[in-house]
Amino acid sequence: MTASSPLTDDQRYGAALAALGASPGTLRRFLDGYGATAAWEAIARGRHRADPQRRYRDKAVPETFDRVVAMCARSGVSVMVLGLPGYPPALASDRQAPAVLFSTGDVSVLEGRPRVAVVGTRSATPYGLGMASELGRDLARAGVVVVSGVALGVDSAAHAGALGSEGGGPTVGVLGAPLDASTTRAQMALRDAIAARGAVLSEIPPGVHSARWWFAVRNRVMAALAHVVVVVECHQRGGSLHTVAAALARDVTIMAVPGSVRSSASAGTNRLLVEGAAPVRDVDDVLTAVELAIVARPEVSPPQRTPGEGRSVASDGTGRSLGAVPNRVRRALDQDPATLEVVVRRSGLPLGDVSLALEHLAEAGLAVGERGWWSRPRR
Amino acid sequence: MAGAHHVARSLSNGTDNVSRIWSSTMLASIPSAILHGVDGHPVSVEVHVSAGLPGFTVVGLPDAAVRESRDRVRAALLSSHLSWPSRRVTVNLAPSGVRKTGAGLDLPIAIGLLVAAEVLPSACVERTGFVGELGLDGTLRPVPGIASLVAAIASERIVVPAGASAEAALVADGRVRPASTVAELVAALRGRAPWAAVPPPAGMPVPEASEPDLADVRGQFVARRALEIAAAGGHHLLLVGAPGSGKTMLATRLRGILPDLTRDESLEVLRIHSAAGVTTSGGAFPSRPPFRAPHHGATEVAIVGGGTSRLRPGEISLSHAGVLFLDELGEFPATVLDALRQPLEEHVVRVRRARGAVDFPARFLLVGAMNPCPCGEGGLPGACRCSDVMRRRYLRRLSAPLLDRFDLAIALGRPDVEDLLGGPPGDSSAEVAARVRRARAVAHGRGVRCNAELPVEGIEDRSTLSADAAALLERRLRSGTLSARGLHRVRRVALTIADLDGASGVDERQVAEALQLRAARAALVSGAGL
Repeated sequence: MTASSPLTDDQRYGAALAALGASPGTLRRFLDGYGATAAWEAIARGRHRADPQRRYRDKAVPETFDRVVAMCARSGVSVMVLGLPGYPPALASDRQAPAVLFSTGDVSVLEGRPRVAVVGTRSATPYGLGMASELGRDLARAGVVVVSGVALGVDSAAHAGALGSEGGGPTVGVLGAPLDASTTRAQMALRDAIAARGAVLSEIPPGVHSARWWFAVRNRVMAALAHVVVVVECHQRGGSLHTVAAALARDVTIMAVPGSVRSSASAGTNRLLVEGAAPVRDVDDVLTAVELAIVARPEVSPPQRTPGEGRSVASDGTGRSLGAVPNRVRRALDQDPATLEVVVRRSGLPLGDVSLALEHLAEAGLAVGERGWWSRPRR
Repeated sequence: MAGAHHVARSLSNGTDNVSRIWSSTMLASIPSAILHGVDGHPVSVEVHVSAGLPGFTVVGLPDAAVRESRDRVRAALLSSHLSWPSRRVTVNLAPSGVRKTGAGLDLPIAIGLLVAAEVLPSACVERTGFVGELGLDGTLRPVPGIASLVAAIASERIVVPAGASAEAALVADGRVRPASTVAELVAALRGRAPWAAVPPPAGMPVPEASEPDLADVRGQFVARRALEIAAAGGHHLLLVGAPGSGKTMLATRLRGILPDLTRDESLEVLRIHSAAGVTTSGGAFPSRPPFRAPHHGATEVAIVGGGTSRLRPGEISLSHAGVLFLDELGEFPATVLDALRQPLEEHVVRVRRARGAVDFPARFLLVGAMNPCPCGEGGLPGACRCSDVMRRRYLRRLSAPLLDRFDLAIALGRPDVEDLLGGPPGDSSAEVAARVRRARAVAHGRGVRCNAELPVEGIEDRSTLSADAAALLERRLRSGTLSARGLHRVRRVALTIADLDGASGVDERQVAEALQLRAARAALVSGAGL
C-alpha cells in the first residue's frame, strides 16, 4: 500500500467537486475545459457554463471543500482527477470514465496486466462461491488482475480466492459506496486485504451518503476496466446484468458460468449463455478469451498458463480410503445441496450411520454442510 | 354500638351463618371462592340487611362484573318468585383487601340475601358453599375455573351450576350439589325436593379419536425421527423449511406420539383450561396432552398470560404438559419470543402486575416452524430472492438465547413427488408412541420426566460417552462449531437417541445424529454471510 502523498490543489478541488452531488456526466462537464480549481471557482461565482441555472453555486462553499479535504486526509484516501497524472490510463480512455476517482491501495496494479471482472449475485450457492473462488485463484496465478465489487457472495469469493492463494495476485475492488462507508466486519477486513495488495476504488467522496443508484453506476467502471467480464451466478434480474450491459456497450467479451437449469441463482447466467455469452468451464476458457481480447494491445502482458492447472477438475479425493459407509454417503452427495433427508434416502442407510459418515466426510473436506443442507465440495 | 358487638360475636361463632341483631337487622355469611390466576381463593360473602332507604351496596374491592351482580340477582330472585327486600342491603366480600372478579359470586350473594331477609332459614345453608353465575330467569350458569374454585371451598356441601357439576365432582366428589335454577336450589335447601344427581364422572382416559396420524406423512424420514426424539426426550424442536415442506403437518402430529397425561398433569391441565374458560373434555379428566397453536398475530399477553381485569393464563400455560406450536416463528413479535425464554427455563411463568402477581404453570414442548427467509426459498442455498438486509431483519427477531433453547433444528426440503404419490408409509403414531413410552420409562429411571430436564451436572453421571463419541465432540468443540451450552444439549439429545435405540451408553453414531439434527440452527444464529 502506498502512503497517500499530500494532495495537490487540483486534486483537492476535484474531490470537492465530486462532493457537490452532481451526476457523473455533469461532473465531467464541470471539468471539461476548466480544470478542477478553475471549475470550482466558476461554480462558486455562478459563472460555470455547465451550471447555467446556478444549481450548484450554493453548495460550492468553502465548508464543503474543507470537509471533503479533511475526510480524505483522515481516511487516507487518494484522489485522482481525469486528465491529470495519476489517473489510471486503463480507465482514462473510457467515454464515461469517472471525472474524479477515490482510491485506497495502489492503483498502478491496473497497468500492464490483463484484467478480468468476476461478478455475480450476493446470494450465491456453494457452487457459485466455489467457482468464483476457484476462478479468482487461478486467474491470479496466471497474472491476471481480478476486478470485482466488494459485495457478499460471488464478489467476495473471487477476491478471497485471488488474494488467499499462494502465488496469488492483486485484485481491484470497485465500491458503490464511499471508501469509508461502514459495513460488516468481514467486509471491512476484505476491503483492507484488497487495499493491501491491490486497490479499492470509488467515485463517491468519503463522508458522503451513498445512494442505491451508485451501485448500478459503478458497474460501468468494472466493465471499462475489464478485458473480459465473467458472470459466475446471477438471478434472472440480478444486478450483475448492469455490468453486462455496460460491457456490451464497450464491446468487452462477456462470459458466463453455466449452472443447473433448476437453480434460480443460475437463471441469469444461463440466459446470458443462450443469448451468446461464452461459457466458462474453468480458468482456461477465460484465459483464452483474455488472450483474444488483448491480442492487439502490446502494453498488456499476456497471462501465463500453468500446466496441470485447469481441466483437472475431476479429481475428488477418491484415492483416500474411507470405508464402505462413508463412501456410500459420499456417493449420495451431489454438487447441488440436499437436505439430510435426501442424503439418507439416496444412500439407503440408517440416519445414525449417515450422520456419522457426514461428520467424518466434513472433517476430511469431502462434504460441505450448510444450514442443514449437504453437498459435495468443488475442487 | 351494642349492635356492633353482637355482630362481632356472632361472626366469630363460625358455624352459625346468620345472626339476629335487632328485629329488623339480619346478617348472613356464605362461603364461596374467587379465581386468582389458576388457583381458587376462599371468599366469605357477608350480606347485611337493615332498615333504611332501600339500596344495594357491594364493598370489598368488587370489579364491574361483581357490582353488576345486583341486577342479575334481583332479576333472578324475582323470576324465581322470591322476594327482593325493599330494605338497605350491604354486601361485603371478605377478605376485603383482595380484588374480586367475575360473576361466580352471584349465587352466594343471592343465597346470602335470602337468608338475611329470612326467606330461607339459616339452618338450610349451614356448612354449605356456593359458586355460580345467575341468569335473569333464575338459571345457574357455569363460571370459568370451577375446579379450582370448588377445591378452595372447605364446606361440607358445595352448590355449583349443574352444567359445571361434572367438572367440580372431579376435584370434590361427594361434596358437590348440582342445581340448575334458583327455585330448584331453594327447594332442595329447604329439604322439599331431592338434590339432583351429579352426572357420573366420565372416567379416566377417553381416547381422542381425531388425532392426526404420523402414517399420513409421506417421506420426511428425518423429520419424523426428529419428532420421535422430541417426544421421547422433551426436546424443543425447530423446523426450518420452504412453504409446502410439511412443517405444519409434522408439528400437528407430535401430540399423537406423546404419552398420556399422568393424574397430576391431568388435574393441572384441567384447572388451567377451566380457569381460562377453555372447554375441556366434557367433565372428564383430560387424558391427552394439549396442543396449542396460537397465530403469530397474538399479543404478548395472549401468549404469556395476564390481562387487565383478571389475570388469565396464556397460550404457554394452556399448552402446559403438552405442545406449543408456533408456526411462522419469524413473524412473531420479538417481545413475544423473548418472553418465552423465562418459562422455557423455569417451567413457570410469573405474571406481575400492579394489581397482583400470579404464577402460571408453563411446562410445554415448544415446536417452532419457520421459513428460512421472507421469500421462503432460502432453505436451498442460493435459491433465495431476498436481499441481505431483508434476511437479516427477518432473522433478527429470533434472539440467539431463544434459538439456543431448541435442542433439535432441522432443515426440511419439499417432499419428492414419488413420495407424495404413494411412497412407503412410515410407522404409525401408535408404533412411535410405544417407542416414546419405552424411552421415557428409561428417563424416569434417571429421576426426571424426560432427558431434556436432566440438570447439567446430571448429564455427566447418567450418560456414559464412548471414547470415539467423546473425541467427536471434542473435535467439534475445538473447531468452534459447537458451544459449551450446545454441548450439553447435544449430549441430552444423544442420550435420548440412545434410549430410543435401547442402547446402554452413548456412542459416536448417536452423537453424530444429535449433531446433525441440530444443524439447521447454525445459519439462523450467525445470520446470512459468506
